[in-house]
Amino acid sequence: MAFAGVDAGSRTIKVVLLDDGGSAILGSAVADQGVRQAERAEELYARALGAAGLDRADVAAVVATGLGRTAIGFAARTMTEITCQARGIHHLHPAARSVIDVGGQDSKVLRLDAGGRVLDFAMNDRCAAGTGRFLEIAARLLDLPLAALGTAALGAEAFAAVTTMCAVFAETEIIGLLAAGVPPAAIAAGVQRAIAARLVALAGRRLDPPTLLTGGVALIPGMDRALAAAAGRPVAVAAMAQCTAALGAALLARGA
Amino acid sequence: MSGPRRIDLAAWEERYAALRAAGLAERWYGGPLSRHVADGDLRLRTMRFDDSPAALRLWNFLLTEEERLFAARTRGVKIVGAMKDLGTVPVLAYSLPGLVAFYPDGAWWLPCLMEDSAGLLPIADSLGIGESFCPVRAMLGAFVSGTQFPAPDLLTCSAGAGCDDLSAIAQRLEALGRPILWWEIPRRRPPEPGEEEVLLPGGSRAPAVLVAFVREELARVLRALGELAGVAPTEAHLRRGVAWSNRLRDVLRELRRLAFTAEPAPLPALELLLAEALALHFCSDRDEAVLVLEDLRNEVRARVAAGTGPLAPGAVRVFWVNPVADLETLNLLEDCGGRVCGTEYLFTHALDRIPIDRPPLEALAGVALADPMVGPVQDRAQRIVADARAFGAEALVVSRIPGASHCAFEGEAICALASRELGVPAIEIEVPPVSDAVRATLATRLEALVETARAARGAAARGGGG
Repeated sequence: MAFAGVDAGSRTIKVVLLDDGGSAILGSAVADQGVRQAERAEELYARALGAAGLDRADVAAVVATGLGRTAIGFAARTMTEITCQARGIHHLHPAARSVIDVGGQDSKVLRLDAGGRVLDFAMNDRCAAGTGRFLEIAARLLDLPLAALGTAALGAEAFAAVTTMCAVFAETEIIGLLAAGVPPAAIAAGVQRAIAARLVALAGRRLDPPTLLTGGVALIPGMDRALAAAAGRPVAVAAMAQCTAALGAALLARGA
Repeated sequence: MSGPRRIDLAAWEERYAALRAAGLAERWYGGPLSRHVADGDLRLRTMRFDDSPAALRLWNFLLTEEERLFAARTRGVKIVGAMKDLGTVPVLAYSLPGLVAFYPDGAWWLPCLMEDSAGLLPIADSLGIGESFCPVRAMLGAFVSGTQFPAPDLLTCSAGAGCDDLSAIAQRLEALGRPILWWEIPRRRPPEPGEEEVLLPGGSRAPAVLVAFVREELARVLRALGELAGVAPTEAHLRRGVAWSNRLRDVLRELRRLAFTAEPAPLPALELLLAEALALHFCSDRDEAVLVLEDLRNEVRARVAAGTGPLAPGAVRVFWVNPVADLETLNLLEDCGGRVCGTEYLFTHALDRIPIDRPPLEALAGVALADPMVGPVQDRAQRIVADARAFGAEALVVSRIPGASHCAFEGEAICALASRELGVPAIEIEVPPVSDAVRATLATRLEALVETARAARGAAARGGGG
């Protein structure tokens, strides 16, 4: 039998299929979620099963997580991203003691014990200034694909000062910086720096080493470096960074 | 029927009809809960309530305060509005004949606010007191609209080391032509070496000179109250007033102890919050407030004796800090598998017994100085941690009040101390007055907290530490 985890996040849906022993990942898939989250999750799940040569009857249990977890009708139960992320990260990186998870519209910091149990956590509120949404806004204004934003930041010789308080204010600032002739690469670096500062403030006392960066934003080049600079300690990108919560959900479905 | 439950408004309709058919006796303010929806308390439509007659009486008592105040005005009773006052001036006011006091700041807890059916927040907006202020700005809207309470005959407000937002809002109110009798509350500082000190309710200490200063401020307020009542206040007046307040606080203390410690939880968090708030101002009827609380306490006693309650056994024990701007959030905690096992709603000092071993004004000055908002955040955090430990909390929530200046820095200090001293997960959430749009993210935080605490409980049971 197989086990499945579905992470219905604010921007994307992720599915991970695990084998009976929990050691082999039979398949994974990621898709933008759109507004019809339940339908998109059904489609993605079917696609992942098909790619792995499985059908629904082969799956013993499904756990859903993420902001849209309650909309996933084919899941037997739901767990929050906090618990699933911790489980997935501990599976891949047993030494990790803290996790920074930056998603499309929220961010979280988890502190873990040696067994991967969550000791404490914090989540952003009020503003998207510390999330992937902020990067999307910046990329659009700089007329860059999201992935290229990170590459541009890595090549910057300096960074522009961008506010950490509010994504909407920051948007106005970016327009002003562009009008003033500040190079896009410097603005991109400033945006990454602003997000990193916001995340480190959110983390507060929770950044016990080793620290792993996960979530969709972990895939943007340079974010780990910006975070490490802001935190004053190494930050590594997790394996399967976009899918660690879905992996954790699959592990929890298996009862591991 | 089966044991106690949380029920929605529609279920209360049926239950009320059944209770009436069975001979439920009610006070003049009784009636079905749904009638308050017609008065604009729209939030009641989505909330869930304890199903006991005692809880119904509590809700009805709270939601008819406006009628009581307007009736008092008609009878010629003098009305005192005690702003930024958590349990001090109302004790003085009710010590004198012919006065009732109320708590205008309480306007931000009215269920009519949570769907903005009374339009109180837009009025505040229009007066320049916007969303960057604490939701207590609803008070300004209530004063201007004149629908929530009559204009008080005397309006008092403390200022100084208390809430900056409220002070600003009250100043705006005064600028609109509402005279205010200001009294000053200084910051509570630790006594210096060799300085004479006073032990305050709750266990903190303050220099005697500060207590003397606040006593003189309260004496000034008392003189104004005496003039309003047309009597010369005596110590006997005050001793009777203090004794009555202590009677209410004693009932409340027992209610809290039972509600926080019994398993399963014998009372939902929502009704307990309403009960605690009665300690501040007696809902404009001190005698009835005590009876309402005694009724609720008796219900809880019976449930504890029977081992029943409206929540499932095994709920995660959560210590809750700060009142929520949307009362429905307390429902949400319970939906997520938690229960409140302790609270610090910024007025714990108003629940402590007023000392009777010293002159009443001096005792009340000590109560005022014990306000957690006027002292160092470390004092507040230490008391929270001590109470959370005593009540066996497995998790802690600091519910930030949006715009409240003190909330900006207190939450992290409280969470850090709780995490360090108790080893329990502690989170901050921010609950706006209308929280529907953030309900999913609030649920995620509260669910994750419950999951984390349950995992710790499981690890401790397996001998893996807590």
